[in-house]
Amino acid sequence: MDKGLLAYLLIPLLSAVLIPFAARARRRLADVIANVTLLAGLANLAWLVLRPSMISGGFADIPGDGLTLLLVGAVYLVGFCVTFFSAWFMEDGTPNRQAYYSLILVSVAAMTGVVSATDFFTLYVFIEVLAVTSFALITTDDSGRGVEGALKYFFLTFPASALIILGISILMLTLGSLSFDNLRIFMASGVPSSGPVTFGAALMLLGFLIKSGVAPFHTWTPDAYQGAYAPVSAHLAGIVTKISGVYALIRMAALLHFFDGRALALSDLLMFLGMLSIAVGAVAALRQKDFKRMLAFSSVSQVGYIVLAAGLGTPLAIMGAIFHLFNHATFKTVLFLNSASLEKSAGTTDMEKLGGMEHAMPWTSWTSVVALLSTAGVPPLSGFWSKLLIILALWQAGLKTYAVLALLFSIVTLAYFMVMQRKVFFGKKSRAAEASAEVSAPLLAPAVLMSALIVALGLLFPYFYTYVRMVAERILI
Amino acid sequence: MDLPIKMLTTAVAVPVFGAFLIPFAGRVSSSARNAFAVLLGLFTFAAAASLLSPVLGRGAVDYVIAFPRGFDLILHADLLSVFMATVSSFVSAVILIYSLDYISHYENQTEYYTMVVLFLGSMMGLVFSANLLWMYVFWEMTGFASWRLVGFFRSDRDVAKANKTILVTVFGALCMLIGIIMIYANYGTLDLRALHGQAITFTAAVFILAGILSKSATLPFSTWLPDAGVAPSTVTSLLHAAVLVKIGVYAYARIFGVTFAAPEAFSTMVLYITGASALISAGAALVETDIKRIIAYSTISQLAFIFLGLASGNKTAFIGAILYILMHSVAKGGLFLCAGIIEQKTHTKDINRMGGLFRSMPFTGAAFGLCSLSIMGIPPFGGFFGKYLVFAGAAQNGSLGVLLMFLFGAMMTLLYLARLFYKVFLGEPAGHESPKEGSYTMVASVMALALISLALGAFIYYPASYASLLTATLGVNLQ
Repeated sequence: MDKGLLAYLLIPLLSAVLIPFAARARRRLADVIANVTLLAGLANLAWLVLRPSMISGGFADIPGDGLTLLLVGAVYLVGFCVTFFSAWFMEDGTPNRQAYYSLILVSVAAMTGVVSATDFFTLYVFIEVLAVTSFALITTDDSGRGVEGALKYFFLTFPASALIILGISILMLTLGSLSFDNLRIFMASGVPSSGPVTFGAALMLLGFLIKSGVAPFHTWTPDAYQGAYAPVSAHLAGIVTKISGVYALIRMAALLHFFDGRALALSDLLMFLGMLSIAVGAVAALRQKDFKRMLAFSSVSQVGYIVLAAGLGTPLAIMGAIFHLFNHATFKTVLFLNSASLEKSAGTTDMEKLGGMEHAMPWTSWTSVVALLSTAGVPPLSGFWSKLLIILALWQAGLKTYAVLALLFSIVTLAYFMVMQRKVFFGKKSRAAEASAEVSAPLLAPAVLMSALIVALGLLFPYFYTYVRMVAERILI
Repeated sequence: MDLPIKMLTTAVAVPVFGAFLIPFAGRVSSSARNAFAVLLGLFTFAAAASLLSPVLGRGAVDYVIAFPRGFDLILHADLLSVFMATVSSFVSAVILIYSLDYISHYENQTEYYTMVVLFLGSMMGLVFSANLLWMYVFWEMTGFASWRLVGFFRSDRDVAKANKTILVTVFGALCMLIGIIMIYANYGTLDLRALHGQAITFTAAVFILAGILSKSATLPFSTWLPDAGVAPSTVTSLLHAAVLVKIGVYAYARIFGVTFAAPEAFSTMVLYITGASALISAGAALVETDIKRIIAYSTISQLAFIFLGLASGNKTAFIGAILYILMHSVAKGGLFLCAGIIEQKTHTKDINRMGGLFRSMPFTGAAFGLCSLSIMGIPPFGGFFGKYLVFAGAAQNGSLGVLLMFLFGAMMTLLYLARLFYKVFLGEPAGHESPKEGSYTMVASVMALALISLALGAFIYYPASYASLLTATLGVNLQ
């Protein structure tokens, strides 16, 4: 464990325990405690990373490998947006209010644990805690669809966990230790008989691929996201699946020394599945009729970019992957929160029934536009830079076909978002648009905050680049 | 920072960031918003024009913001970029003034002004950036603004056309990005100043060309422009036809005219593609009956002549192409604005239901006639000099086939514009109630553009000497 960041794990855990007792009489207190906990953590992180002396020093004084801190930041950011949104979104009579906030906080703590783990066993434990909380969170609103989604999530991620623990045991048997460093040193030494280790790693990679919803293991994501309670789907899509699956893939890509040309078969496999995921997700998203399902397939496609870059594993590719992971957290949170706003205001996310919502909900409309353009990689938004880094990395590695394909699938991304925009926001006023009004300002605040972040990261790309380069240098030793 | 550098940065930053303040001005009152938008347009024009004397006097003006990996944002004012910026900001400023009346009856006005000014700002950024990556960035920003503008009326048809516009142009832009990445892989830099005079591979050139052709609506990507011109308001279509399509032309001039030495085979290919584009779109303009579609097709056809001048690899033709950009922007702007007045007054776009309008709308008719003459290339209008120099240069070293194609195209220009003028202004009135002239500002805008076309012909010495100085100092690989 990276002990410097232990507080970010323990404090939300403590708050989670506190909430059921403190908020027994006054239910609203649960909202307050959860929000304050996460906001305090966020402020603390901002001070740690964004203070002027740190920026002017090129982030050289960041403790640890930098990746952990960045992702803890992302976890807190998305977590805060979700709790803040939920505080105004949840109806007053919801029976399990305290449980909901406790679970969110536990999942934040678990994610912090995942990203600060330095050995595979700790990683596995926290990923399982995360899976259990997500499973419970999906069913928050007690609807039949929620239970269905939760069951699908459970049945498909259970084999993934089994594969991971199997891989871990093989690593334990062959390497004698489960720490990340051990694997790194083993891979760096270039021992010829690395067969069993590679096999163990392959099993784990497979597990993480399922958890990140990469094609062809993506079938659980649309159901889980669509069925989940609205703010929970933002939490799941924005950060949970990224941390429980994609983060581990990037970490393993670095540990397995893909950049040295080790474990080439695994590297090729990852890249192939990444590309497949980009294609499958984008094409499937074109045909969706429900806003949330479309977003889910879009997630599959965007995760594909990250996996493609992680599979390549060169420093530039890892930088692109980390950058895209962070960007994905920002734009997907905006889009899912906006879908929740739509659901609250217009009562449906079925795109056939919506239309012309921009008159009724201008803020929701414009934040969606920013997020979708960033997803499609339109400059100067943040998504453009991360995609550019990934494509440049592919090109430099001589994988021109992948580079061109990855670039041209941006047009499909843009196409399905154009369809969405036409059916939901742009276009003539529908009956739903006339009956609904913009949601209240607090519900808009998280989406606006994230959209501002998307624009800012795009314009302040040099700073973020410096940070990510520092991360890549530290994790690729 | 001395004054020219300040002017250079403000010419880009003021419209780009100012555009996002327009919604706030709209909260105050609608007239404050309109005044603010027009002021932004005029200021941008003033800033761009003020750069003319420094670049003539002391050469280029540069401003650099460092970005990692050679992605620096380089604003570079030289003869070509200042020329282009001045022309397009002038036309855009006229559009903004004209819009005050034209747009005043519709919804979404705030968005309209925001997007026009954002478009203008991105155009300035594109023209001034000397880094290919930033050219791409601004390129996409103009695409975004035009997407919102084409979908201005929000009916399903309009929005579908808006989506078509953005998908076609973004597809082209992505192809261009592939070309840019190839250049980056070959030379390790995207700084156009450093790449001056280098060779470019045929493949990279073709990828970049795809982007250029899609933006300037040339075959095989031409279909979006007539569509974009039909659905939304005339002002928007004007913005596309007079300004947006010039982006492609400018990028061609910047990348293949004054930076890279393009392969011979590539230039020949461009000549044949644009020749075909000139003929086909002129043919379409001859048979169309929708006034705005005719003018849009005419734009596609005229752009081909500019490409002819740029791709001939000949100094005379290059000078002609630069003049052509100026003349065409002014005259085509005038034509579109006239069409806007006519459409607003007669409530139709079908030329078969017009006729005899000259009696009731003499000023609009006169302006329309003058602008048509300039586009046809009749002396002493400005358009004549551009067309003449392009042909003179192309004749020196072009192939006969290409030349004949374009001569035929020029003849067709004459035909379809004469037909249009006859159908709309002369002949018997067909089912309309002799509508009145447009409002004062609208008629003043079109008259101004028509008279400027005439004046540019009379004072051709100044633009021509500017263009030849530009060609002599910046041109690469010209005979």
